[in-house]
Amino acid sequence: MKLELIGKPGGCKLLRMTLEVEPPLSPASRLQRISIRGDFFAVPEEAFEEVEHELEGTALAELGLRFDALVLEKGIQCAGIGGAGLAELVQNLLVQKEQQHGT
Amino acid sequence: MAHEFRLLETGFHTAAFNMGLDEALLGSVAEGKSLPTLRFYGWKPPAVSIGYFQGLHEEVDVDACRAAGVDVVRRITGGGAVFHHYEVTYSIVVPLSHQLARPNILDSYRLLLGGIIDGLALLGIEAEFAPINDIVTGGKKISGNAQTRKRGCILQHGTILLDVEVDLMFSLLKVPQEKARGKLIEDVKERVTSVQHFFKIRGQTPKFKLLYEETVAALKQGFASALDLSLVGSSPDEAELAEAQRLADEKFASRHWTELR
Repeated sequence: MKLELIGKPGGCKLLRMTLEVEPPLSPASRLQRISIRGDFFAVPEEAFEEVEHELEGTALAELGLRFDALVLEKGIQCAGIGGAGLAELVQNLLVQKEQQHGT
Repeated sequence: MAHEFRLLETGFHTAAFNMGLDEALLGSVAEGKSLPTLRFYGWKPPAVSIGYFQGLHEEVDVDACRAAGVDVVRRITGGGAVFHHYEVTYSIVVPLSHQLARPNILDSYRLLLGGIIDGLALLGIEAEFAPINDIVTGGKKISGNAQTRKRGCILQHGTILLDVEVDLMFSLLKVPQEKARGKLIEDVKERVTSVQHFFKIRGQTPKFKLLYEETVAALKQGFASALDLSLVGSSPDEAELAEAQRLADEKFASRHWTELR
């Protein structure tokens, strides 16, 4: 399933994410594909694509921590984006879906 | 002793050429063929530029741009979408080994944007740095900026708004509701101001050309004083112009690059 997320989590610029995950949606759902867009900064820019690629296979609940680890590992300097912000967007989505499911 | 910088005033060009020239200048400084460089320029035709990480069709109404004769280009720097028309644009290229380079992006913005803040002060506009990458006056944005680091250099470019065509700007850019809410201001039109606004308050309504020239003059002085620069007036050399044109044609005007995300 394909999910579109958009928001301005604390400490971040406007972030947009497109996630493809295996249904059913849950914190354990693994990312098949991820695209992160927005008006943030990440230097070197080209290495960011490697991060997106290497996030594939990560469980949604681990997205934030895994993002921060990859950014550190690749020596990318970020401004306006961070793992906590991505995790916040995912958490909001999960809560929203749970509420929809409950009603 | 003041830092010697090359000063370029390259006039008004297409979006693809402007971005090509900024990247060509970065190459010259990186290869040690040029002094660190400060450039002022404008856009003809007007243009929308988007940040490296932005999705083209999420941010820009491409058909509206085409209909209005507005160029669209993707920058090599991050940051947000900008409508370039009545503004002064600058770029600055500094080697990472230079005394004015800072390893941290925010520190780097803070230092280099001192030049714009001092320049605006010379125009009677009291402005301040608004992290991450803006300059505001009275809580309203008057300058947006973007930065990258490549080939051992910092390239920072940005705009100083001379006037704002709010309706046209928002007919070209797609502004998400989340962004406006995040800034806690209901009307996006209230978030932006311009140099012209301050001239009007003083009862002056200079034409664009004069406003542009006065602002560039103030910014030159502002950068020189804030960063302790000795500015050496110059022009891009033939190799730089050729490289700028090559980058414009092969990269910045290409569909592949523009639609990268």
